[in-house]
Amino acid sequence: MDDTYAVQAEGLWFSFNSVDPILQDVSFSIPRGSIAAIIGPNGSGKTTLLKVLLGFLIPQRGKVLVLGRTPQQARGEVAYVPQRFTFDKSFPITVMEFLQLSHPKCSKEKIVQYLSHLNMGGMLNMKLGTLSGGQLQRVLIERAMLGDPKVLFLDEPAAGIDIGGERTFYELVLHLHREHRSTVVMVSHELDVVANYANHVLCLNRKLLCQGRPEQALSPETLRELYGKEVALFHHRDRP
Amino acid sequence: MTEILTILNLPFMERALIAGVALGLILPFLGVFVTLRRMSFFGDGIAHATLAGVAIGIVADMSPFLSALGIGILFGAGVYFLERKTTISSDALIGVLFTGGLALGIVLISQQKGYQPELLSFLFGSILSVNSQDLAIILGFSALIVFTLLMLLRPMTLLALDKETAWLYGVRTELLDFFFYVLLCITIVLGVKLLGIILVSALLIIPPTIAKMLAPSFKTLIGVSVIAGEVFIVLGLMLSYLLDLPSGATIILMGVVTFFLVAMRSIVLGGRI
Repeated sequence: MDDTYAVQAEGLWFSFNSVDPILQDVSFSIPRGSIAAIIGPNGSGKTTLLKVLLGFLIPQRGKVLVLGRTPQQARGEVAYVPQRFTFDKSFPITVMEFLQLSHPKCSKEKIVQYLSHLNMGGMLNMKLGTLSGGQLQRVLIERAMLGDPKVLFLDEPAAGIDIGGERTFYELVLHLHREHRSTVVMVSHELDVVANYANHVLCLNRKLLCQGRPEQALSPETLRELYGKEVALFHHRDRP
Repeated sequence: MTEILTILNLPFMERALIAGVALGLILPFLGVFVTLRRMSFFGDGIAHATLAGVAIGIVADMSPFLSALGIGILFGAGVYFLERKTTISSDALIGVLFTGGLALGIVLISQQKGYQPELLSFLFGSILSVNSQDLAIILGFSALIVFTLLMLLRPMTLLALDKETAWLYGVRTELLDFFFYVLLCITIVLGVKLLGIILVSALLIIPPTIAKMLAPSFKTLIGVSVIAGEVFIVLGLMLSYLLDLPSGATIILMGVVTFFLVAMRSIVLGGRI
C-alpha cells in the first residue's frame, strides 16, 4: 500500500448478520489532502464503511490502512464528527469543559483563541445541551480539529441543520481543511455538497460503483446505476 | 442540641454515620455517570438480584453481605457479556436477570425455617446494625472506589458522553465499560446495607438528578451531587432516630422532597427542568 494515500481499503466485506453483506468487496484509495465524499442511497453501507475505516467495526474480510497503519494504530491522528451526537441534554457541561475534556493538553488560552478566530468565542461558557443543532455540529468539528488531525471523518455532519446553517458548516470544514491541510472523508447523501466541496468521490451501493474526481467519476450512467433514476450534477468553478 | 450530641456518642450511631458518609460519597459520585449513561434501571436491577446472594449467604451460613457482593458482581458481568453477545436490549436483559435473582432468593429463603432478620435488614436496609466488620468492608471499598473514580474521571466522562469518540481519544472503552459495571455492582451492594434492596438505587439517582438542575458546570456537578447525598444521609439518619422512623426510607424521603422543591424552582425560573 502507498504512502501517498491517507486511506486505503482492499477487498472489504462486512455483514451484521453473516447473511446479507452490507459491504461487498470494497476497494479504494483516498489521496492525502483531498476532500473525499462517500455517496450512495439509503442503506448503501456509507456509515458502515465509515465505521470500518475508523476501526469501530471490524470487517469480516479485507484490509484498511489509515495513514499507512491499522485504524487502531492511527486513532491518535484521526478525528470524527458523528451524524448525531446523542447525549443527556440536561448534563451541565460547558463548551469549554467539553473541549478541555477532549483535549486535556490543550491550554485554555489556545481554546479561547481558536474559537474566537472562528467567531465562536461567545459559545465557550454556554452549556452543550442548550446549543442548536448547527451550533453543536460546529463545536464538534472544533473539538475534532483542536487535536490537529491528519484525517477528519464526517458522517453526514449537516443532517438536521437548515440550509443556511449547512452552508456555513461546510464553509467551516473547507476553511479548516485548508488551514490544517487535513484529509477529509465525509459521508453525504447530498450531491450538491459533493459538487461544491469534494474533490474525490466514492460511489457506494454495497459495492463500489465508482471513484475519482467528481466530474470524471460521476457520469450520468453511474448516477443512474447508483440511485436508480436520472440525477444530474452541477459543479461550481470556484470550489476545489 | 444535647440530644444530638448524645446520639452521636452512641457506638452504633457512630458506625452508622461513618458508613453513611462513605456511602454518601460513592453512590452520588458514581450516580453522576449512571444518570449520564441512562443506566438507572441497571442500579435497580443489581440491587434486586442481590437478594439471591443474601439468600445463599443465609442458607450456607456465611456472611450475606459478602455473598451478595459476589452475586452482584456476577450479575453485572452477566449483563455486560449478554449485551455484547446478543441483540436483546439492555433493559430486557436486566429485567430477566433481576427478576431471576429475586425469584431464586425467595425460593432459597422459603426453605429456611423461622424468622429471618437478616433478610428484612437487606430488604429495607439497617444502617444502625452495621457492625465493625461491615464498616471495615464499606470503608475499604469506598476508599478504593473514590480513588479509582478520581483516577479515571476523564475516560469515564468521555465514555459516558460518546463511546466511539472516547475510543478515538485512546480510551480502552470495552475494558473501562466492564470495569464501570463491576464498580457499580460493588457500590450498589455496599449501599444495600444502608438503604436496602428496594431503596438503594434512589441514592444513586436522586442526588445527581438534583445536581443537574443546580450545577452550572460539570466541575460543580459531582460536588453538588455528593453534598446532596451527604446531607440526605446525615440529616435523614438523625431525623429517623429522633422520630423513630426507618432510617433508609427517611433518607430517601428527604431526597425526594428536595428533588420536588428544586424541580419547582427550576420550572419557575426556567420553564423546563
